[in-house]
Amino acid sequence: MPAGKKFHFRQNRSQLPGFGLSLGLSVAYLSLLILLPLASLILFSMNLSWREFWTVVTDRRVLAAFRVSFGSTFLAATIDLFFGFVIAWVLARYQFFGKRLVDAVIDLPFAIPTAVTGIALATLFSGKGLVGGQLEAFAHWFNTAFSTQLSFNIAFSQAGIVVALMFIGMPFIVRTVQPVLEELDKEVEEAASSLGADFRHIFLRVIFPGILPALLTGFALAFARGLGEYGSVIFISSNAPYETEIVPLLIVMRLGEFNYEGASAIGVAMLACSFLLLLAINFLQTLARNRRSA
Amino acid sequence: MSAAPGHTLEPRWLKPVLITIALLFLAVFILLPLVTIFSQALSVNLQDYLAAALGYEGATPELPPLFASLGEGTSVYRAALSDAEVRAAIRLTLLTALICVPLNTFFGVLLAWAVARFEFRGKNFLVSLIELPFAISPVIAGLIFILIFGASGWLNMIPFGTQADGSTLTLYQWMDARNLKVVFAVPGIVLATLFVTFPFVARELIPLMQEMGKDDEEAALTLGASGWQLFFRVTLPNIKWGLLYGVILTNARAIGEFGAVAVVSGNVRGETTTMPLYIEILYGEYQFATAFAVASLLTLIALVTLVVKAVIEYLLQKQRTG
Amino acid sequence: MGIEISQVSKRFGDFLALDGIDLNIPNGELTALLGPSGSGKTTLLRIIAGLDTPDTGSIRFFGEDATRKRARDRKVGFVFQHYALFKHMTIFENVAFGLRVRPRALRPEKATIREKVEKLLDMVQLRGMARRFPSELSGGQKQRVALARALAVEPKVLLLDEPFGALDARVRQELRRWLRYLHDEIHITSVFVTHDQEEALEVADRIVILNKGKIEQSGTPEDVYDNPANPFVYGFLGNVNLFHARKELTPNGGEIFIRPHDISLSARDDSGKGIPVRVTTHRILGNRVRVELETREGENIEANIERKDWNALQDADLSALYCQILQGKIHAPDNTWSNYVI
Repeated sequence: MPAGKKFHFRQNRSQLPGFGLSLGLSVAYLSLLILLPLASLILFSMNLSWREFWTVVTDRRVLAAFRVSFGSTFLAATIDLFFGFVIAWVLARYQFFGKRLVDAVIDLPFAIPTAVTGIALATLFSGKGLVGGQLEAFAHWFNTAFSTQLSFNIAFSQAGIVVALMFIGMPFIVRTVQPVLEELDKEVEEAASSLGADFRHIFLRVIFPGILPALLTGFALAFARGLGEYGSVIFISSNAPYETEIVPLLIVMRLGEFNYEGASAIGVAMLACSFLLLLAINFLQTLARNRRSA
Repeated sequence: MSAAPGHTLEPRWLKPVLITIALLFLAVFILLPLVTIFSQALSVNLQDYLAAALGYEGATPELPPLFASLGEGTSVYRAALSDAEVRAAIRLTLLTALICVPLNTFFGVLLAWAVARFEFRGKNFLVSLIELPFAISPVIAGLIFILIFGASGWLNMIPFGTQADGSTLTLYQWMDARNLKVVFAVPGIVLATLFVTFPFVARELIPLMQEMGKDDEEAALTLGASGWQLFFRVTLPNIKWGLLYGVILTNARAIGEFGAVAVVSGNVRGETTTMPLYIEILYGEYQFATAFAVASLLTLIALVTLVVKAVIEYLLQKQRTG
Repeated sequence: MGIEISQVSKRFGDFLALDGIDLNIPNGELTALLGPSGSGKTTLLRIIAGLDTPDTGSIRFFGEDATRKRARDRKVGFVFQHYALFKHMTIFENVAFGLRVRPRALRPEKATIREKVEKLLDMVQLRGMARRFPSELSGGQKQRVALARALAVEPKVLLLDEPFGALDARVRQELRRWLRYLHDEIHITSVFVTHDQEEALEVADRIVILNKGKIEQSGTPEDVYDNPANPFVYGFLGNVNLFHARKELTPNGGEIFIRPHDISLSARDDSGKGIPVRVTTHRILGNRVRVELETREGENIEANIERKDWNALQDADLSALYCQILQGKIHAPDNTWSNYVI
């Protein structure tokens, strides 16, 4: 066989069968189903000039929607970061009655359709729901007792959007942090303890740095998912422009007005955000891998 | 790996406190939504019962016993599920899943085989491409197909002959004249669902197959097995649980997808409404009991998915240690 | 001739794994590919099996060009370091696999397969294990199943990749003697990869020593041990003491190689050729003793003597002993060897 650069591609091939077939077919499928449609989105937005594109995405309503989307998602992912970490910790380190069940239901938000989530949360947190009703009663008592005019409404306010996104994002954090916590070498903690460190020090200096990349990855995953979430949010939000309207909903609105250019421009802006998040996630995961193998 | 029983390094109060926080959070965010779905589906207003139990002022003084109310609820439930439009929605949802799950399973396995068994240029790019449908909003997943197949999309820019009056006939107009619709019809729903459910099988299999290594397959190769024998007798038995896991996740998402499907559906009642879309319609029309009845069916599928997933995880773990 | 390898090279990215290998593996012999990790020995084995393709060069099996033959057509038996048993199949099914996947026309009858598998399981002393699964077997048993599975297809060549690498020391000893015994019985052309020189010396008919993708030397175990081609081989085949040769021995400089067991110790210098040394430390290793010595010039020497010889020194002053060099070799800068004559 001639030794030329020409054959380089073939030479490093494994001798297992089916390389051409599997790669060829799956790449063709991926291109048709994913790559081509996405490229067409970007191409479509190019029907607009830069100026027009800029006008569309910096429209006051669009900017307000981005503010609502980013703000709510950030808040939800941050709250999830705390609770997700506690749940992961509990699952990774403790034995308790019902642990298997708890471990299984963590993934409910992955498995349950978002529309179902939406109507369930909207009802639960509205005045006639179990939580919303209690909050309303509490608000009534609080306002009479202290002569205030506070509202504790969650459903149909931005708080509702945050609640829905918390539900959606929680498993991402638990499921990225939990395996890392399980893999942590207990001997390292014991070594730290034998060197005289108390638990606070062990946590801050030994455990926390080890799981920080995983926490950040989980946060980024929850954030990426939350930013694009549509189904669960539109039911619990009042969807009022400038106040509780999220970006995906705005895209749907533009499509409803047959404003394809507008929809594609906002879509491209969102796509750019997703790509940036994907890059960040990849970077964090590489970081976590290096940290673990070191 | 199980947690060591004696975490003597931690302060004693930490465990009960953290477990309480975790369980409370899960009670509010997992348990209560589930309770809400089923109680609403059975038209039982638990809020009234709770208020009565806690002795709130203004609570309905006389409530029927919980079980009597449940009995009444089941008849509402049965009525909801015998509704023709509900049945049409169920049929469409099953049809979509029936098309998407096998297709994405087939191509997911092919892709996993290529990625986990061979080295080639651009592999990293391909792997990140797999994740793409998860990273972007489902609404965008729907949008891209509207932009291709919609009335003012790409298809309407492709010339496909001339019309009687001499003007250009576009591909869209040609198809429209023959009633070949993609978006706002079933094909669009299938396409959008294929898009959002593609990653599950491949991303489940790739790490599993990489971890297993090529030794088994190479051994089969030196023993004279052909490509198909190698796959069906050696690879498939090794990956079957991971594959099944990917398949049920694909199925759960295919059945439950809302955002992407909502964009391409056009919501023609009884024709292009899947179960999640029909929930939205019913909810918008204040038919709460029917909406939740449909929702409870989807929730049952989700719960079954979780059970199967837990069993498979257990089996996978056993296979790994065994 | 059995397997003829000519001018085989293989590159992985920037790493040159094999660099123009020429090697003949004689028919019916048990050959060891010996070398440190990264020397290319496993790559060479996989190329012989057809699991990797060489960038350049060719391979002939019994006079027939096999370079482009696929692994499944080469009729080689391959035994993997980590056994690669099919976990979901019983031991019987594992061994029968190669027969059952044959095209219908070539597939033996069920009864024939059964008979053959049972015979093989007898041979590897696992008769009662046929219905068990791999997870129920010990490492040594798994490796024997892997061997039986490879032999079931009646390969012309048997290839073993670090066959004892994953086993513990005792089982390893036992299994390698058994492999030698088995080979004496069936005489199949075999190649095994190892990084353990003791294993190669004990089991193989011929040893091929590889380093950095090149063959350093090949020959019978006695040959390579007694007449190492170069300092690498000398060092790799056993512990060695290395000294700079004095001018009167080799005018151009050079090095003296002396194996630790070619040194003896005594309390008195009867021959007059002893070197005065003192014992810095010693370690009793069963029936042998490793002694570390220091000369007056401050050079360190390692000796490995018999326990009874050490015991004879019980009453001697360990800080004033004499060591005799029984034999050694001088390596001159022009890569020639001469015996070290005392």
